[in-house]
Amino acid sequence: MNNNTLDLGNTNSPNSLPHFVAKNIIKNFGGIKALNNLNFEVYRGEVMGLVGDNGAGKSTLMKAISGSQLCDSGTFMIDGEEVKISSPQDASKYGIQIVYQDLALCENLDIPANLFLGNEKKLFNYLRFIPNFLLPLDHLSMEESAIESMKNLKVSTIKSMQAKIGFLSGGQRQSIAIARAIKSDSSIVLLDEPTAALGVSQTKEVLDLVLRLKETNHAVVIISHNLNNVFEVCDRITVIRQGENVEVFDKLKSTPDQIVSAITRGT
Amino acid sequence: MNNFLDKIANLRETPLGSFVPVMIALVAIWIYFGINEPIFLSPRNFYYLFMQSAVVGTLAVGVTMVLLLGDIDLSIGAVAGVCAATLAVLTTNMGLYAPYAIIISLLFGAFLGCIMGAIIAYVKIPSFVVTLAGLLGFQGLMMKILGINGAINVRDPIIRSISTTTLPTTIGMVLAIIGVVLFGYLIIRNRSIRSKKNLENETNLVSAVKFLFFSILMIGATILLNLYKGVPILILILLALTFLLGWISTSTSYGRSIFAVGGNAESARRVGISIEFIKISAFGIVGFMAAVGGLIGASRYASVSFNAFAGGPLLLEAIGAAVIGGTSLFGGRGSVWNAILGALVIGSLGNGLDLSGARAADKLMFSGAILLIAVTLDAVSRKK
Ligand SMILES: Nc1ncnc2c1ncn2[C@@H]1O[C@H](COP(=O)(O)OP(=O)(O)O)[C@@H](O)[C@H]1O
Ligand SMILES: [Mg+2]
Repeated sequence: MNNNTLDLGNTNSPNSLPHFVAKNIIKNFGGIKALNNLNFEVYRGEVMGLVGDNGAGKSTLMKAISGSQLCDSGTFMIDGEEVKISSPQDASKYGIQIVYQDLALCENLDIPANLFLGNEKKLFNYLRFIPNFLLPLDHLSMEESAIESMKNLKVSTIKSMQAKIGFLSGGQRQSIAIARAIKSDSSIVLLDEPTAALGVSQTKEVLDLVLRLKETNHAVVIISHNLNNVFEVCDRITVIRQGENVEVFDKLKSTPDQIVSAITRGT
Repeated sequence: MNNFLDKIANLRETPLGSFVPVMIALVAIWIYFGINEPIFLSPRNFYYLFMQSAVVGTLAVGVTMVLLLGDIDLSIGAVAGVCAATLAVLTTNMGLYAPYAIIISLLFGAFLGCIMGAIIAYVKIPSFVVTLAGLLGFQGLMMKILGINGAINVRDPIIRSISTTTLPTTIGMVLAIIGVVLFGYLIIRNRSIRSKKNLENETNLVSAVKFLFFSILMIGATILLNLYKGVPILILILLALTFLLGWISTSTSYGRSIFAVGGNAESARRVGISIEFIKISAFGIVGFMAAVGGLIGASRYASVSFNAFAGGPLLLEAIGAAVIGGTSLFGGRGSVWNAILGALVIGSLGNGLDLSGARAADKLMFSGAILLIAVTLDAVSRKK
């Protein structure tokens, strides 16, 4: 096992810089070293798998990258430039979007409302004397955009845009959470266990979505426990164990057995 | 059984599902008392029914805003009392020009609401506890303001006129017809724009039922009220405020945020919605509406007394009205318009039972049963 692919770079664009790099990330929870000098990178147009046993620190790394939980030390770089990520707003400013393990959709609202939550389209924007939050919503155009983005993601199973999220299937919800993450000008999409709660056909829907993100030149990071899924969509796979790097595998040059061994034994 | 409950939950999500149950309850009550107590359906009785339901309706519309957040405000009755007492002192005792006194008391109500909202939002104490403290404290404050007599008369003609003035019958009718035509026009325009843009439309049946329901209620109520005295200004004020809050809650990003916080506060926070601002302002709105309720009460009774506002009935009827109207106690679902229907259900029930000579004990038990049914529907409609 001599394929330390950290140096190999991306097969799609061997000469370019990684789009996103996290270097020497440290995060402690009291005495627990959740992340211990962790390194991570992902290219544009690449799907990077992030795998490790329960408690390895995957979610903690995601939260650090998306600014929702700050790390103790370490640096982030986008296209070779160091950036400071200290809030979710910072992260989204740099084009980083996360689909949380727990989705974070409002079940009582319909699809357009969820897609545009916190970022609604309004009418009469020129009426300066009315506070922005009291301007009338542009329901129609939000609904049109919602249909458009569902179409772009080739999500065809949703019958009505006015369906409340609470009445949709797990796969449909996941699609909507992903659509929300990528509708703005995002370049990095982090997916935390996007298929964990899904059945076979719904899992396929979501994995297709992931591949479409790759086609549109996003840098995609996907956490999953399901190695079949990982091998299906990922180009490279970063294995971490107890908060430390084990190895970065190139999918084409490795087998699931190697990954399992890296996850459990660290070799 | 679970299958059946699921069906109910799904029905409630349909376009008419949210207000059909309360409509059926209302119509059933009207038919029942209409048959058993012919006086019930008389124009005169209807007029008083509307007037009696106005204070509860105002408070119910207000409290709906915080129920949507998944919060509750137990102090609405007491805030209404404090504001009414302030109004009485300012006009009767100090001789302040009534419109100024009204503005001061309304702002005072909003202020009290904002204070409680700020404590709830920043100190993170459950609204139940904070507003319970408010209930007790404001009842005391009301006693202090009212002084040793425990009541102040309100004879100011401007304040009195709010509940004694009615629209001339022709103007009332013209307004109702304009409302109906406008409503129909908006439905048709919306449908045609949506079909032009290839967006899904509600079925003809749903549009027709909506329109028919609205126009029958508007025209019918106006005719009945006109047969007695005409449409009271008070009702007009209540409808205008409800329209405003209904519009804000469904058609602005502020309202959207209220629903989002009620549905999933963490999700709202992650997209950058300020939960503090939403809570403080929503409680401010409730305080304002409570003050309006106080103003209406002062105008109707021509006096402000401790007993009229303090204690349970007003508060419980208002929250009951909102819940009977289909607003969820779990947050994230409901509508201010339904609160008005809920207030009419409670008002009609009380009025009808009064006419049939029922005792207070029966009234309480009936109200309790209806509230229980409403809350059960609410819990059942709540998806897993
Ligand atoms: N908020 C927290 N407080 C304390 N310990 C935490 C917290 N979040 C995560 N941890 C700990 O950090 C380690 C990594 O957790 P996590 O990133 O959730 O793992 P994974 O997502 O890989 O299963 C675990 O030991 C976990 O118990
Ligand atoms: Mg995790």
